[in-house]
Amino acid sequence: MSLDLGFAFRVLVFPGFAFVLLLTMFCDWVERKVEARMQNRMGPTYTGPAGAIQPLADFVKLLAKEDVIPVETRGAIFRVAPVLSFSFFVFAFLFLPVDGANAIQNSNFEGDLIFVLTLVSIANFFLFLSGWSSTNPYSAVGAARVLTQLLSYDIPLFVLAAAPAFLAGDLSVAAIASSQDIPFLLLAPWTFVLFVAALQAELEKDPFDVPDAETEVVGGYETEYTGRRLAFLKLAKDVQAVLGAAIAVELFLGGPYGPVPFGSSTLWYTLWFTLKVLAVIMVSEYLTCVFARLRIDQVLAANWRALLPLSVLSLVATVALGSWIRRLTR
Amino acid sequence: MSHAEQEIAALFDRELGGKILRTGTLQPGKLFVRVVAGAHRDAVRALLESDGDAGLSALTGLDLGNAIELMYHIRTRKTVVTIRTEVPKGSAEIESITDLIPGAEFHEREVADLLGVKFRGHPNPKRLILPDDWPEGLFPLRKDAKLAAPEMTRSASVSSGDVQPPDDGKLVSIVFGPQHPALIEPERFSLKVDGEIVEEVEPRIGYVHRGIEKAAEKRTYLQDIYLVERVCGICNACHTACFCQAVEAILGASVPPRASYLRTLILELNRIHSHMLLLGHAGFEIGYETLFQYIWRDRERVMDIVEWLTGNRVIASFITIGGVRRDLQDETVSKIKRELSTLEERMGFYRRIFENDATLKMRTKNVGVLSREDALKLCVVGPVARGSGVKMDVRKDEPYAAYGEIPFNVVTYSEGDSWARFMVRLDEIAESIKIINYVLENLPSGPYRVRAPRTVPAGEAISRVEAPRGELFYYVKGNGTAYPERVKIRTPTFANILSFVRIAKGGNIADVPASFASLDPCFSCTDR
Repeated sequence: MSLDLGFAFRVLVFPGFAFVLLLTMFCDWVERKVEARMQNRMGPTYTGPAGAIQPLADFVKLLAKEDVIPVETRGAIFRVAPVLSFSFFVFAFLFLPVDGANAIQNSNFEGDLIFVLTLVSIANFFLFLSGWSSTNPYSAVGAARVLTQLLSYDIPLFVLAAAPAFLAGDLSVAAIASSQDIPFLLLAPWTFVLFVAALQAELEKDPFDVPDAETEVVGGYETEYTGRRLAFLKLAKDVQAVLGAAIAVELFLGGPYGPVPFGSSTLWYTLWFTLKVLAVIMVSEYLTCVFARLRIDQVLAANWRALLPLSVLSLVATVALGSWIRRLTR
Repeated sequence: MSHAEQEIAALFDRELGGKILRTGTLQPGKLFVRVVAGAHRDAVRALLESDGDAGLSALTGLDLGNAIELMYHIRTRKTVVTIRTEVPKGSAEIESITDLIPGAEFHEREVADLLGVKFRGHPNPKRLILPDDWPEGLFPLRKDAKLAAPEMTRSASVSSGDVQPPDDGKLVSIVFGPQHPALIEPERFSLKVDGEIVEEVEPRIGYVHRGIEKAAEKRTYLQDIYLVERVCGICNACHTACFCQAVEAILGASVPPRASYLRTLILELNRIHSHMLLLGHAGFEIGYETLFQYIWRDRERVMDIVEWLTGNRVIASFITIGGVRRDLQDETVSKIKRELSTLEERMGFYRRIFENDATLKMRTKNVGVLSREDALKLCVVGPVARGSGVKMDVRKDEPYAAYGEIPFNVVTYSEGDSWARFMVRLDEIAESIKIINYVLENLPSGPYRVRAPRTVPAGEAISRVEAPRGELFYYVKGNGTAYPERVKIRTPTFANILSFVRIAKGGNIADVPASFASLDPCFSCTDR
């Protein structure tokens, strides 16, 4: 039984569910604060020290609000899509090593990188379903945009994720992360740059935030949502952002691994992991702040004409230089 | 009569012959010609043929008791010529001039709504301003209209501004507004789209019409200053300046030089404020929120200056009949100069962004193109016209306040796209800063106002001001009492809104908010 309790603790508390939630709220706060400072604003200041628990307050507030389900919606899907999307994002997170191992005690299997990316795609699909089931024109347009954008940007994302796997010679996330004595960011920087670009599109951030361009499609797929369901939809989006950054950390920044000057490695690895995630989020926020939003046709053109060919090229380059690069790491 | 006026008078004599009833001036320098009913088209055509840049400034309707007078204010390169004609009130009908000047469409619809004149041959004679359930046969601007609680009925015979459901099943209607995040103010634009491409646009305004023209007739001239100031909060000083100029023309009063300079100062501050507001808003519309936040924060500097000058941040209540209401203190001058030099530096930074930022250019270059010909045909004004290469600026064409003495350039761009319209405004801010610096350095001494009488003699005058959004037009008629007989206000957005139909057509639906914002629409002005 003791083993089961430990397992339950790892999945539900640390580094599983509770930790993911905490990290999400924290990253959300950092994101808002950083973006605000970059935009010459204050950001949250009121709730908690320097507004630190504002994301939690927002979440709790939404939970308490009236939950309206419009008659015209496709009931069941409309109800469950936000929660399912959120669950799949969190589920995907459980496969990422945080304190040196992942939440399910490294009971990972060969190829869980593909599994994680698939889970992310499914979760994204539920975001689309939430808009599609709203039967509101704005939601429908927003959902259609999510789908078009994700379908096209998933391809370069998968191609780019293959490069670290190739360099590590392994398809498991933990193995890729632990094989980076020198982070792949330094060995194959071009892949990382492209990966971040694809990630911006996956996370619907500027210059690719067409699905929720409020001046064009109001709230996008969120338009009809209120109360609890909106809270979960927003939380799902936040987890998605952290998850995206976390995947980038695992694939390119050496995962949670880093120097352990003293004491327990669990604490240090968690610290390194959090700091690296924050670093990726900073980069992503910076990009968000310096770009205007593209039009949906420009977003798609940017993918098919630039990002996808470049990704394939970068994979070819990584494969070609792979043996030489691998020699460097040893 | 000046040389230019004599030329135009001679032109009318030649072209119209016996159809002219009377030629005269509204006020010195403003020619009018009264023609027999039906001959107004010949007069308009003659003017258009003699001046390629001529366009309709405004169409004023006036209730004379048993007839309705129509005044076509046609702007030429240097002045405004008024063509007046009368139609009997019982059967108020006249030929439309929309085939000669397509930009007259909204002007005629407005007069049809408010004064009940039917325009024969109008392409789209639907209601524009009055609500769909407004009773038929009740025309608010007629003097005999009983407006106490009109009974609202939805009558089937009134053609509303609604877009009919698509008939061929190919086009889909998408409605922007009256409530939409891209439209901060309530107006509606029904777009018929084929996929992502806009095929047709039907604007409908009037959702927040306040009847200010009618209300002005019930208030004294002094009260009207504060009423017209509220036509639009952003360009409030332009409205007061324009109204006061018209009243001063009827009074024959002249403003002391110091007041002229102070008026120029507040008018230019209005322009900077308005342009910065729009440029930030444009950033928001194209999802460039950093730009939006930056520009709006820097806009605070202008608000501060306006506060030092007038005591208020937005509604200035600064200009009055006979001058201005407050003097400028010497210590404020240096404060303003310091603030402006910072602002100038910031504007240089924003100009570099608009010139160089790739994503911003992708969203604005070659988007919403309005050709020079269309700009003239649709009678657009201000930065929209100048962005399409029409060199038109009331400050230069017909200098008012102190503009005649101040050196500055009229900014034009020839591209005609959204980007050009934004660039016009950026460059105009730089020009405005120069103008303000000139004003501060060359401020004449002396009184800042003269006392004007409360009662205004019978007479009429028109007045034009280059508001931030373009030419602002006022027509004021006095009847010898303290209350005006008629105040006609034609705001720049009212003249520009028709061009949106042209700009949006054939474009991508995602470009609608951005290209619409590039017109700097102000519905508060449109629904005055």
